[in-house]
Amino acid sequence: MSASPLDIIVFAPLAPIFGMLLFWFIQLLFIESQKYMLSGISKEHEPFIRFTNFIGIFFQTVCHALGYTVTKHGISEFYIGVHYGKVAPKKNKTGLFEWLSNGFLFLGPFFIPSFLLLICLFFLLNNGFIFYPLESYTFSENMIVFGNNIFHFSYSFFSFLATIDFMHPGHFGFFIMFILLGLGIRPSYIGEKTVKKVDIFYDLKNIRYKLLHKPLYIVFFLLSAYIFSYLSVLFNLNWYVGLFSLFGWLSIIAITALFFAHIFIFLIKVTDLIPGTFRYISLMLFPVSYVILRILFFLVPIPYITTISLLLSIIITSGLIILFLHSLTNTFKFSEPMKSHKKSK
Amino acid sequence: MDQDEILENESVEKILSPHPLSFMGLQSLCIFLIVWGLLVAWLVNFSDFRSYFINPILIIVVWAFGLLLVGVIASLLTVLWRIFFIYCAIVGSGIGIVFWLGYLNDSGVFLPVFTVVISIIGFLLVECFRRSHKYVISNQRIIFKGGVVVKEERTLRYDKISDINSKQGVLGQIFGFGTIIPISQSGFGLGADTSFAAGGVQAGKKRLKILGIFGGGREVQTPRTRSYYELHGIFPYKEVKKIVENLVQGSVITTYQQEQVKFQEEQVDLQKEMRDLLKKQGTLNRSLNNKEEDIES
Repeated sequence: MSASPLDIIVFAPLAPIFGMLLFWFIQLLFIESQKYMLSGISKEHEPFIRFTNFIGIFFQTVCHALGYTVTKHGISEFYIGVHYGKVAPKKNKTGLFEWLSNGFLFLGPFFIPSFLLLICLFFLLNNGFIFYPLESYTFSENMIVFGNNIFHFSYSFFSFLATIDFMHPGHFGFFIMFILLGLGIRPSYIGEKTVKKVDIFYDLKNIRYKLLHKPLYIVFFLLSAYIFSYLSVLFNLNWYVGLFSLFGWLSIIAITALFFAHIFIFLIKVTDLIPGTFRYISLMLFPVSYVILRILFFLVPIPYITTISLLLSIIITSGLIILFLHSLTNTFKFSEPMKSHKKSK
Repeated sequence: MDQDEILENESVEKILSPHPLSFMGLQSLCIFLIVWGLLVAWLVNFSDFRSYFINPILIIVVWAFGLLLVGVIASLLTVLWRIFFIYCAIVGSGIGIVFWLGYLNDSGVFLPVFTVVISIIGFLLVECFRRSHKYVISNQRIIFKGGVVVKEERTLRYDKISDINSKQGVLGQIFGFGTIIPISQSGFGLGADTSFAAGGVQAGKKRLKILGIFGGGREVQTPRTRSYYELHGIFPYKEVKKIVENLVQGSVITTYQQEQVKFQEEQVDLQKEMRDLLKKQGTLNRSLNNKEEDIES
């Protein structure tokens, strides 16, 4: 395949950047949706909200401290609480060091929790960590290899989730960590005190501000990316696409963790909808049904035990929750058919 | 609180108990037992390594080693050797039962079940201990009660409190509970953190061996006391803290009040002097009148 010099020099390095930005944007949307769901249950479940705040603030503060340590600012003050975290530098540095520490603070909370999960997955996945080689250094080839890297990892990751064995301590521990970190992948605070509204619009405004008023940040980022891309071409390696694929993997882990955290928050919300003694049934159904099914399949062995147990537990949980909501609350109930309402309008 | 325990003009502001999660240090030891029991059960019965555990002695060794290792680590971190001895007792009793009742070949099932049962008993004991605590905050004093078998009680008047130490861990911040340690003027409520460092030196390879141990200690005074001598894990933390601080402040005489008391004392002295003078004048007048009456008669 022949490649034009213009493509190699100008367009090819942009391909993995676009790919990574796409996944990061999806991650931001999921974060926004999670914040909306959490603020909906904040009054009834204050300790739970404080707990999720703590996880988020913990990662944000650690990233902040990490940024100051790496850039040799030093740390003079360090505090992590449920409502806020504080890191003060010993020295105030400007230029490249300031940019790096700001970069850690801005991007760290989005990627550090996923990075921890990625390390765990390294021991649990069989063959998900593959970087495909590049045949040529064009925009399309870079995009295809980026996509292949992402696809291969996603396939292994989702296969693992579909066959997860909650009776395996490693799998169980990973899942608990997955949910906990999923609840905290957000650099913002939800609570009784309105500290500062940090939402997707704030992030976008921040990016816009940086683009317009501090273009050197973007120029520096693009320059580093292009230099790294040219070095990869020079040494005939796939390091450049590999690096951005790694960020893509982190985003996929974060998006999936956020999705599972959404389900968990929904189950907590259901506890408010169901009155009386059946209140906590939504949280109990899945583990209880899974354990019963595993015991049953231990006594009566069948193939694909883990997947079938998981699937049946999900079906039982969803079905019974709908049944409880239907029988004990007004949800899913209409005194008259919907068609009659539509006609009357 | 019984009515006969209430003093004259005393009114009870709050009766408190520790939060269910405030003894997480002890509860986490029981949680570890459950986790370890389940982990051993999985390891010897279901994992890929189960073929290594054909010899039951190896199961006992792994089970005991894990428990004792965590016991030592927990004891060192909390400076409480009691934890290690409790874990030693669990290991000893587990091994004893295995050999006594002849469960050696079933130790892969028995030991995990035994560990989980012990942890449930541990949870119940911790809950009994928690429920034995009762704190009464009245307008005159704080009464601390505790102890499962031996009943302990401490009464502290607000004017005897010299310092208040408050602390709230992460769980406390999440669930809204915390610990308040009122330190009395006698130093009741203060503990000491002691650190000690030691090192050994060995010189020579074959014949001459010199061993030297160098040590040094340091003690730091810190607010620490038993859970039944402090307001341990009370809920709602902020509200109770405010009540206690207000009551302590209310019983402390401020500088202005001290001046007022001094002024009043001076006033009383002046009044006493005036009374004495008036008495003297009265007696003088009476004696003069008597003399005049004598002269007239």
